[in-house]
Amino acid sequence: MPGSQGSESSMLPVAQNAVALAQRKGAREAAASAYRVRNVEVQWRDGKLEKISEATTRGLGLDLYVDGRYSSVSTSDLRPEAVERFVEDAIALTRKLAVDPHRALPDPALYAGQAKVDLDLEDKRYGEVDAPRRRAIAQELEQAARSVKGAEAILSVTTGFGDTLAESFRVSSNGFVGERRVTDFGMSAQVSVKDPDGRRPEDWDAASARHFHALPAPEKVGRGAAERALSRLGSKKGESALYTMAVENRSAGRLLGFLMGPLAAAALQQKRSFLDGKLGEKVATAKLDLADDPLVPRGLGSRLFDGEGIAAKRFPVFEGGVLRSYYIDNYYGRKLGMKPTTRGMSNLAWKLGDKGKDALLADMKDGLLVTGFLGGNSNGTTGDFSLGAQGFRVRNGAIAEVVGEMNVSGNHLELWQRLVAVGNDPYPYSSSRSPTLVFEGVQFAGV
Amino acid sequence: MASNGMGRRRFTKMSAGTLIAAGAADLLGCAAGQPRPGGPGPTSGIGYFARFGVTEAMIAEALSAALSRGGDYADVFFQHRVSNDLALEDGAVNRAYTTVELGVGVRVVKGDQTGYGYSEDLSSAALKTCAQTAAAIADGPSRQAPQRFHVASRLPQRYPLKVPWEEIRPEQKLPVLDGVNGRVFAADPRVKKVTVYFRDESGAVLLADSQGRIVEDLQPMTLLYVSCVAEQNGHREQGGYNVAGRAGFDFYAPDRLERVVREAVARTTILFEAVPPPAGEMPVVLAAGSSGILLHEAIGHGMEADFNRKNVSIYADKIGKPIAKPFVNIVDDATNENARGAINVDDEGNEAGRTHLVENGVLATYLHDSISAKHYGVAPTGNGRRQGYQYAPMPRMRATYMLPGPHKKEEIIASVKKGIYCQNFSNGQVNIGAGDFTFYVKNGWLIEDGKLTRPIKDVNIIGNGPKVLEKVDMVSDDLQIDEGGWTCGKDGQSVPVSQGLPTVRVSSITVGGRGGKG
Repeated sequence: MPGSQGSESSMLPVAQNAVALAQRKGAREAAASAYRVRNVEVQWRDGKLEKISEATTRGLGLDLYVDGRYSSVSTSDLRPEAVERFVEDAIALTRKLAVDPHRALPDPALYAGQAKVDLDLEDKRYGEVDAPRRRAIAQELEQAARSVKGAEAILSVTTGFGDTLAESFRVSSNGFVGERRVTDFGMSAQVSVKDPDGRRPEDWDAASARHFHALPAPEKVGRGAAERALSRLGSKKGESALYTMAVENRSAGRLLGFLMGPLAAAALQQKRSFLDGKLGEKVATAKLDLADDPLVPRGLGSRLFDGEGIAAKRFPVFEGGVLRSYYIDNYYGRKLGMKPTTRGMSNLAWKLGDKGKDALLADMKDGLLVTGFLGGNSNGTTGDFSLGAQGFRVRNGAIAEVVGEMNVSGNHLELWQRLVAVGNDPYPYSSSRSPTLVFEGVQFAGV
Repeated sequence: MASNGMGRRRFTKMSAGTLIAAGAADLLGCAAGQPRPGGPGPTSGIGYFARFGVTEAMIAEALSAALSRGGDYADVFFQHRVSNDLALEDGAVNRAYTTVELGVGVRVVKGDQTGYGYSEDLSSAALKTCAQTAAAIADGPSRQAPQRFHVASRLPQRYPLKVPWEEIRPEQKLPVLDGVNGRVFAADPRVKKVTVYFRDESGAVLLADSQGRIVEDLQPMTLLYVSCVAEQNGHREQGGYNVAGRAGFDFYAPDRLERVVREAVARTTILFEAVPPPAGEMPVVLAAGSSGILLHEAIGHGMEADFNRKNVSIYADKIGKPIAKPFVNIVDDATNENARGAINVDDEGNEAGRTHLVENGVLATYLHDSISAKHYGVAPTGNGRRQGYQYAPMPRMRATYMLPGPHKKEEIIASVKKGIYCQNFSNGQVNIGAGDFTFYVKNGWLIEDGKLTRPIKDVNIIGNGPKVLEKVDMVSDDLQIDEGGWTCGKDGQSVPVSQGLPTVRVSSITVGGRGGKG
């Protein structure tokens, strides 16, 4: 582990010992996850360092199955005597609970068949990124932001660079042992500008990657943030009306998240999902076509096994607008009598369109481009949503006046039936990798 | 901050959302406490943390390492927090989640720059490593660290517990969950699913700094959350209610539990009658209580002094200027007994009281931590808070609310020809610089010709902070501090907060409905 503090022992024995201890103290089955994370961050603001933070942290999580009862506990106090007391207390507490016949570790058959691929999630040269390098990147980000046209309106620039090396082990009493080592590198720039009307609009740009050398040039991110912030000057509220809505790739993930959340088995079993009973049904236009793909090399959501040890496999979620799969974890799978797929989203692999954002705007001719959502929410039970939005009016196929303080509302069961175009531009800095999306006939509220 | 550019987002939400999503492992922020338990000796400020082997000598050594490169100020923050969740689903309390957090953070401040290191290992060597990491923010000759500490003057007692949570057995808590479950089902045959979460938390913090101060505080928290799903003619609706406070088991008095059941059922079943809310600008009446989310987003975050020190808040040049009607008074208050947002002392060891954000319509005081207070040459306001030992403190809200005004609730509703009345909320967010903010309404009513006519649901409201404050043109005398479990997020740190409001009218704001123009 180059760059970290000396030679640190593996976390594997911590997880193994915890499982053994739990069984010795009376658990019939147990699974443990033990992790160690080194995290370094540099923040830079207006020509000088603002903050540095650095630490190596560790912790232990334990799922306990005791006399047909279940609890899940975690601790950062890893002193051996403390762990022993912690496990004893947790088992005693578990014994007071109601029996739950659906609680058991996953069927070991689900552990089998892990993909034989190197996901390349760890940058072996992690340790080569040192403090002067982080600081230089943060500085470059600011310089780039201040070099754009119109930079005299900039009030403040905050930039940052951070990196993480995370090592974790999962061990279960029915035979699972898994190791995961990942690195993350990220940079960001946030720019505030002075609007003559007294407002101080802000925007940001950022990038992240598993490998340091896969990051874009700081120059691009710094300039991007400043250009975005400056583009917000003179923002006005638009008219309340139905518009064709294009959602920029980096914001589309938020909208998509409201569609993905209700696919969780817990939501189905608890009758809190507007997608309950919709398996095999067409819930969107044919443009919505995506798979859950945990095996993308260097992917931000990539994994060989999920949080319960279940071997990760690619599966279709929406095909030609038809709902093909739910996200079924072990416990709710048992409750529902459904075979587990995986617990939680990994990466999304979209069937992409053939045009970028500008060409899509040219096609839509008249409407609104959303570049950011602000607050709002979606009701997972009914699909109703209402979100604050800002962006640009699109006229004659091109970006026109800047709009803000608006709101977009609808119901997901209707919205996705109005998806008319999908871009060729998946946002690379998020695991949902959403492209630009275009919807027709969407209700906006403004003036 | 490292992984994406969302680091500056500010939001509030009901913590219940997190509970549902994460099950157990989410962190609820700091807590506060009780009078300091007696230390091992009359000269030692270390009481609670002595059990982990923490001594004044090792703190002195860490502070000395922290100032070895010329920092202006250093502090050491120890934290131990044990939270227990019991959860009921499908009729049985069949899962428990326990989280133990133990760790220490060392901070060095040089001007307005911060160095920070933290660890779960409380040994002398680990502490020194953290201190050396944090020290690197400065680059100059070493400064003298204190060798002796003085215990801060006696702290207020805003949440004394009759019985600490450690002494409450699971057998005492289980009937609360089972009882609520049974009564929710009994209240309405349309209820099909009920989830109940019960959380208790025992926290302890110790802050020692380079001025020789040492403060220890015990910090309890509890929360009860109920969610239900009801079905009518094949249509499903979900709703709920929750209560939270820095309180003990006696918080769950019969009348409070009765209210939890009643509200959870009422807020869910009324949704079957809801009509689509209107879209566009219109008058909005905010009900007394959790509508305080308006203040949290429209002004609270913008008044946090770090944003003003950095010149990025829309309020950065408005102190001393009138921004609202003279009957508008807004405070951020640490002193409300047993409130979720109450603190005895902030996470920098500063006294925490009541701060006036707006006094008689005039913008009065920012919310300060020690860095911003020094920057502005004023006394800290006790708003320096942190999520936990992994984080440096920054200015945060506590309980934010508007004081009572001259109007009556009935006259406010009667004054509106066509608009909406907002009752319950789930979350909000703000852009500090542009001033645009939103809050999401779960339940409300249409107002037609001065009367509440039909229920509405699921609508986001968007406005601009200073513009909306100007448009607060009626304030009632019925202030309520909401009892719900609110959590505030800023720069990746979550802390528990409270909020409140009397009934208020905003003359015009954009309602994000889809039922045509209002």
